Amino acid sequence: MKKIKGDFMTIPKIPGRIETIKKFKESRGKIAAIFPIHYPRALFRAYNILPVEVWGPTGADTSYSTAYLQPYVCSIAQSALAYLLTGDLDITDIVVAPHTCDSLQGLGSILLDFIKPKQSVITIYYPRDKRDVDVEYLANEFKSVGEQLSKITGIKLTDKKLKEAIIREEEADDLLKQLYENKVYLDYNDTEFYKIIRAREYLPAEEFTIIANEALQNKTEKEKTGIPIIVTGIVPEPKGLLKVINELNGRIVADDFACCGRKLYVKGKSSNPYKYMAESLIFAVPDSSRENSINDRANYLVNLAKKYGAKGVLIYEVKFCEMELYYIPQVRERLKEEGLNSVIIEVDINDSLPHQTITRLEAFLEVIE
Amino acid sequence: MSKFSALGFDIGSTTAKIVAVDETGKIIWQYIENTEPKIEEQVENLLKKVKKEVGDTLNIPVVATGYGRNLVLQANRKVTEITCHAKGIFKAVGHGGTLVDIGGQDSKVIIISDKGKVVDFTMNDKCAAGTGRFLENTAERMKIPVENIGKLSIESPDEVNISSTCTVFAESEIISMLAHGEGIAPILKGLHRGLISRVVGMIRSVGLVPPLMLSGGVVKNDAIRKMLSESTKQTVIVPEYPQLMGAYGAALIALKE
Amino acid sequence: MSLISEIKYRLTVDVVGPSYLKWERRKMTKAIETFKPKNDYSAPPLKISAWTKELISKHYFRGRYVEGHEPVAWVTSGGPVEPLKALGYFVIYPENHAALSGARHAQLELMGEAEDAGYSRDICSYARTDIGAALSGKTPVGKLPKPDLLVACSNICQTVLYWYRVLEKHFNVPLVIIDTPFVYDEAPPHVIEYVQKQLENELIPTAERVAKKSFSEKKFKQVVQYSKEASELWLEVLNTGKNRPTPISIFDQFIHMAPIVEMRGDAITIDYYGAMLKELNERVKNGIGAINNEKKRLLWDNLPIWYKLRSFAEDLGKYGVTLPASTYTYAWGELAPMIDIDRGMESMARIYTYPILNRSTGHKLDTMRSMVKDFSMDGVILHSDRSCKPYSIGQMSQRSKLMDEFGVPALLLEADHNDPRAFSDEQAAQRMESFIEMLGVDDE
Repeated sequence: MKKIKGDFMTIPKIPGRIETIKKFKESRGKIAAIFPIHYPRALFRAYNILPVEVWGPTGADTSYSTAYLQPYVCSIAQSALAYLLTGDLDITDIVVAPHTCDSLQGLGSILLDFIKPKQSVITIYYPRDKRDVDVEYLANEFKSVGEQLSKITGIKLTDKKLKEAIIREEEADDLLKQLYENKVYLDYNDTEFYKIIRAREYLPAEEFTIIANEALQNKTEKEKTGIPIIVTGIVPEPKGLLKVINELNGRIVADDFACCGRKLYVKGKSSNPYKYMAESLIFAVPDSSRENSINDRANYLVNLAKKYGAKGVLIYEVKFCEMELYYIPQVRERLKEEGLNSVIIEVDINDSLPHQTITRLEAFLEVIE
Repeated sequence: MSKFSALGFDIGSTTAKIVAVDETGKIIWQYIENTEPKIEEQVENLLKKVKKEVGDTLNIPVVATGYGRNLVLQANRKVTEITCHAKGIFKAVGHGGTLVDIGGQDSKVIIISDKGKVVDFTMNDKCAAGTGRFLENTAERMKIPVENIGKLSIESPDEVNISSTCTVFAESEIISMLAHGEGIAPILKGLHRGLISRVVGMIRSVGLVPPLMLSGGVVKNDAIRKMLSESTKQTVIVPEYPQLMGAYGAALIALKE
Repeated sequence: MSLISEIKYRLTVDVVGPSYLKWERRKMTKAIETFKPKNDYSAPPLKISAWTKELISKHYFRGRYVEGHEPVAWVTSGGPVEPLKALGYFVIYPENHAALSGARHAQLELMGEAEDAGYSRDICSYARTDIGAALSGKTPVGKLPKPDLLVACSNICQTVLYWYRVLEKHFNVPLVIIDTPFVYDEAPPHVIEYVQKQLENELIPTAERVAKKSFSEKKFKQVVQYSKEASELWLEVLNTGKNRPTPISIFDQFIHMAPIVEMRGDAITIDYYGAMLKELNERVKNGIGAINNEKKRLLWDNLPIWYKLRSFAEDLGKYGVTLPASTYTYAWGELAPMIDIDRGMESMARIYTYPILNRSTGHKLDTMRSMVKDFSMDGVILHSDRSCKPYSIGQMSQRSKLMDEFGVPALLLEADHNDPRAFSDEQAAQRMESFIEMLGVDDE
């Protein structure tokens, strides 16, 4: 891992996706393209499969996906399908479509029934509540996924090996938490910071651990300037968003993005590794895709804002993302009660940020300053 | 001497078109003008014109199509543009395939069998970004005559990506690009690309059945034809009267009455 | 509640209200008998319509006064209502209320209330209608009773779960989620087990606690029995559509499905559908069709367009096009054979996991194909409902397969089940007419 010190950026050198995938394939591992949002990372790694998350990115040719998905399906789902259809996911062996929402439900189903790609298609349904019965179900679901992975890879997994994989992932997750907690001391702007954080989406856990540790060394005595905000939403795409926020003198102190902030899983309790993984997901940060209560999400955002001293909340949604839209009015009301102003911005991830959006951001920052 | 045998009206939201055919279905007269707000009056005047220039319309069967078809009171029958375009193009070129019609305010893709029947169709009539209006509006804002935009696009070696899906937002995106020094021609090319990509999306949703044909007012724009051909890797066939396929088809249906 | 108030309540909902509604029904029945349709192709409305109106009115009438007298549950349309009925709950279906509002053109105002409160136009139009009603108290049925319990089952969509979270916070009452994992192929044992456990360990204890009553296995079996019988009759009603001409169209079915959704588990629902079946068999015997010029028969896929029912029936009818069946109404009948009274909860778990909406896009296509065959259909209209992603996603592939592999003409019609602003009359009419022309109606 090369680092360039001195007058240059001290962001650790992060291998790109293709490079990472190629290297993993050389070690005789398989590659799984993972559609949003949640999935048992440890389980895949235990079967020597590298999970690579597909969150866009921008630039997909959605004229391919619109032949299958109506225009009122969000640009995340459209892009995922477009990349599959244009061959950009050909390097993967498995496609995983977690049951995140009605759109991903449909996407998973049409992949299985109509598109039938060359990759094996796996769906994972995670439960929509936090009761004992939900934990039990998810443990069984993970077991069932494991059986499918066993068939694909020919590997017979022991509980011991699975536990080792879980520990590896937890180490990486721990560092993710530390990065967030230390963000204010680290000498990175938001574009750089999120490049590091989002490497978790594809780097093997042990490699991410190394990079994260390096990144944590890059501390600065300088006090951070900029209006502190938290951002909630699905993804910080198009990437220009982060640059624009900083240019407008805003600073993200914490986030509730589905691709990063909501991936803060907790430690499980059970000695059974499948149940452990289930607990780890079910009791994680509140999320609309797991249909946590409005109060859970509102409380979480309020506490997050207070913990990191945010003055306002940017609600940054992908257009047509229904699961997020239901929460917004009551959550905003609660935020207001706590003296936190919020603004809503909706985007198509394949569009560049229009002027209207930038102006709205600017106005919001002026108001909360 | 061919006999005036049937009349077809295509009253679109932008233009009104009439075609007169003889007993063999050959076009013997045709006319286009802008659609006026008072359609019924316009149709009356158009019929007078036909009487003067072609012949008496007393026993001539009339079929009307287009958005204004229900206001052509003199029509024996009203038939949708889908059916009419299919009939028109089939007679004009002599075979079926995939017809792409890009009008002022809508675009259609029609799959036509080798017997001339409509097998499948899809329409984009909700969003201006797939229509001629998208190009016209922006050309106007950039003060380029509509007849030149095709040529300028073809000649441009460079192309700028217009990402906005909405015509209105595309305008502001373009203004900002011009302000940043982007050239007009590359922007125009990008605009055309946007329209074509929407059309290609429609074609994909029904499935291309060669040969590929193109009709509609937008055909006058060479860039559209060229880019469509490039994107689909097909030769694009254009009939002799590309704007009249609807009215022609209507006239042919009237002939059968 | 005091004895006096209880007596007043009983008098109102069991005596006064029903008497008035019975009188209304007699009036309406007479009116139907002498009714002359405005056009020359539509059959007169089914005589059962008077009873339908009475039943639904009686239900909502009771709803106006029930608060404080009986425990009230708001339930999703696919929700397991039998255990609740066994515990004596008065059940409201917000989706039905939203549909009713749509059919009566009251939905715009209600959606406006929700939108003013910050709910996006991109969320389901039923949800907006209902949330707007809950926030404003406005409703075309007089008054909706506040829920004591909310029950949301994910077998129709995920949207209802977010929607009920909003209601949970608004009303501050317990919400029981019955999560029925989506069936991509077949439901594995751990899924059925999961659903059954939720019914037994979550739904029943919470419902008991809120109702302050104990669950009676005996009563439950009785309710399940009634449910089964009514569902079987509904299936027979729908199957009369196989006749040529069909005595019933989907436009009738969309109206007369209300009791099987809302009053499934009540004894009266059995009598009701029995009477309806009788009337339809009479029509079949006498060769009376929903339209008398039946030329083409089409299958409807997805929810109805509630604010366009009559005009669609007329627009299509005038071309001799009738719609004998829909995948949507069939959903409440096709699972009837699965109801096993002796295996109570396990059978419930299965029935509530397997509705068509909880099943793969491939299964939906298979269902459409077999319905096209069984009902001798000439084509399919796929309503691409903007507000219903689970039903709509997959339609583009289904349509292609229907056309290319099975030679069945199919139209994708873009609309919304309850929001007229997401619907364009002109464009929809254009597409339907083009489709009808494609079917060759005039070539007959």
